[in-house]
Amino acid sequence: MIVTEGLSKHFGTIKAIDDFTIEIPDGKIFGLLGPNGAGKTTTMRILACLIKPTNGRAFIDGYEIGKENDNQSIRAMIGLLPEVPGLYETLSAYKNLDYYAQLYDVTKSKREENIKNLLTNLDLWERRNDPIGEFSKGMKQKIAIARALVHEPKYLFLDEPTAALDPEASKMIRNYILDLKSQGRTILINTHNLSEAERICDTIAIVKNRLVKVGNPKELAHKLFARTINITLDFIPNSLINDLSALDYVSNIRVEGNKLFLNVKAPEEDNPKIISWLIKKGLNVQYVSEEEYSLEDVYLKLIEEAK
Amino acid sequence: MLRWKRAWIIAKKDLAEFKKQKLVIGSIIAMPLVLGVALPLIMFVPIATMAGPIGTVWDIQGLIEIDKCTNKDCFAEINTNQTFENIYFNSTTVQNMYLKNAHLQDCVIMFCIIENSTINNSTVQNCSIYYSQIENTILQFSEGTELYGKEIIAVNSSLTFTKVKESETAMLIPFILNYILVLFVIIPATLPTIIASYSIVGEKNNRSLEPILATPTTDGEILAGKILSSFVPSMGSTLIAFVSGAVLIDVVFFYLLGYMPLPTLNWILVITLLAPTASLMSILALVLVSSKVTDVRAAQQIGGFVIMPVIILMLGVISGFIFLSPFTIILFSVFYSIIDLGLFYFAKSIFNREDILTKWA
Repeated sequence: MIVTEGLSKHFGTIKAIDDFTIEIPDGKIFGLLGPNGAGKTTTMRILACLIKPTNGRAFIDGYEIGKENDNQSIRAMIGLLPEVPGLYETLSAYKNLDYYAQLYDVTKSKREENIKNLLTNLDLWERRNDPIGEFSKGMKQKIAIARALVHEPKYLFLDEPTAALDPEASKMIRNYILDLKSQGRTILINTHNLSEAERICDTIAIVKNRLVKVGNPKELAHKLFARTINITLDFIPNSLINDLSALDYVSNIRVEGNKLFLNVKAPEEDNPKIISWLIKKGLNVQYVSEEEYSLEDVYLKLIEEAK
Repeated sequence: MLRWKRAWIIAKKDLAEFKKQKLVIGSIIAMPLVLGVALPLIMFVPIATMAGPIGTVWDIQGLIEIDKCTNKDCFAEINTNQTFENIYFNSTTVQNMYLKNAHLQDCVIMFCIIENSTINNSTVQNCSIYYSQIENTILQFSEGTELYGKEIIAVNSSLTFTKVKESETAMLIPFILNYILVLFVIIPATLPTIIASYSIVGEKNNRSLEPILATPTTDGEILAGKILSSFVPSMGSTLIAFVSGAVLIDVVFFYLLGYMPLPTLNWILVITLLAPTASLMSILALVLVSSKVTDVRAAQQIGGFVIMPVIILMLGVISGFIFLSPFTIILFSVFYSIIDLGLFYFAKSIFNREDILTKWA
């Protein structure tokens, strides 16, 4: 489990991240979302024991970040994919991975086994002896992910894992991340890609130099936006809006063509009552659906509020 | 605690990368070849040739041939086991003779017994000399029962003689050996300006430092690895050039003068003390330079200045201001070691994860 308590990092007068408190349970994918310069990478670097926090504390599996002995134990448990792959272009894919596995003290036989498994899973085993310089961007990103996994870490930190990749490569990487989650790894992702975060993250934190909001993408939408029900009728009489206004669980009623939009507090309870009421009025209900708010809507609203 | 195994893993990776860098490999091969082998030969062959006579080996049949040499300044090498009396040699190499009442001028004399003779401006090796007058002559590995002469400076109690006064040409030899010796300090100090700039700035440009810093490797181990990756090829290459150069000089000397001047204490001290400390100084200075620049070429250009203490030594030796003796070599080694220590602590203070990630870019 990863826990942060009032974590802050200041560079001179600039507060990269301030009073950041989160909790990431084991086996979950946690997304950090925020604009450029919001402190996402700084937070990840603190958690990877690369930079020291100015204030606050953070723990990974009970080890405290910042204590030198604990830092070594934490680093051994973490696999990091930085924003830029940073591979050695003149060395082969195999040598790149083998080098890092040695730095993590992986035994020779285990190194061979892990590298073979990773490269096979990522469809790169046949290219293992080719220099990285000959690889495409997507292939390099796969190797960088393999590098983060070569010592079988419990925690995986991914900084913009699909940035600058084509849709096919992005999808492959996303699926691989979900596979890793199913293996029980805890994954922290920094991303600008909201649809990606929505698809793969169990929990997201919106960050803008502080924690703006944390939660499940859907829960956040529900908290931020009133739940709007869209009812399609074959005919809407003029008096309907006035009649509906009398119902205390309905608000913000509007009509567009033969579609009726209204806000309710609890659709699970209120929708059946509204439908019954409409049927009693002799109206034919064709479709009922709930207006969906995307993570993008949530994100933009929260970032706007945070300004 | 520093785990050298990890430092060596980092160094090995760098060495594997260097194999693919033409400039690095070219420098590692070419610089020692030119400075350590070709240049000493170019400097030494003419000096060694001037320092002693070289000529046809005469097949001595009797006194007639010797007489031919008596009245002429001929170049000859006379090698016989005969006894010669009242003979005059000028600019001749004389070996294995028993000489009585002889006059030897500008000669190289080896393995002879000399009695009641006069020796001027010559080099004497492995000889026994009795009742002779010696002037301006180098005496090596020789002995005698009694000597007299104005120019003799040191005679020890067992009557084994060391150098008395060298001939002008022969006097050049130690200086030339020192000039060459300085090259073996220049090589290990210069090579890191190319290698270390690739090793650190290259890594910085490649943005590959962050994943290394995320491993359980300590800052000290990473720094040690980077130092090793520059130190090993620089010193390895220097050592190969040193051995090859020394062997070639010995071969040239043996062929031209009949003896091998190397290794000397100076040479051993330079390769074991001065060269490694100079190399470390250059590497550590490059680590500091690398923290401030983002371009390999800029690091190499600035790297030219970091070998200034070595250039000062070289200029001192060439100008004659500094004579490399065991004392001066140890003195410079201590001086460089103090600089190394200061640079190491400074490098260690800036070589930490946070600074590398936030300030080095």
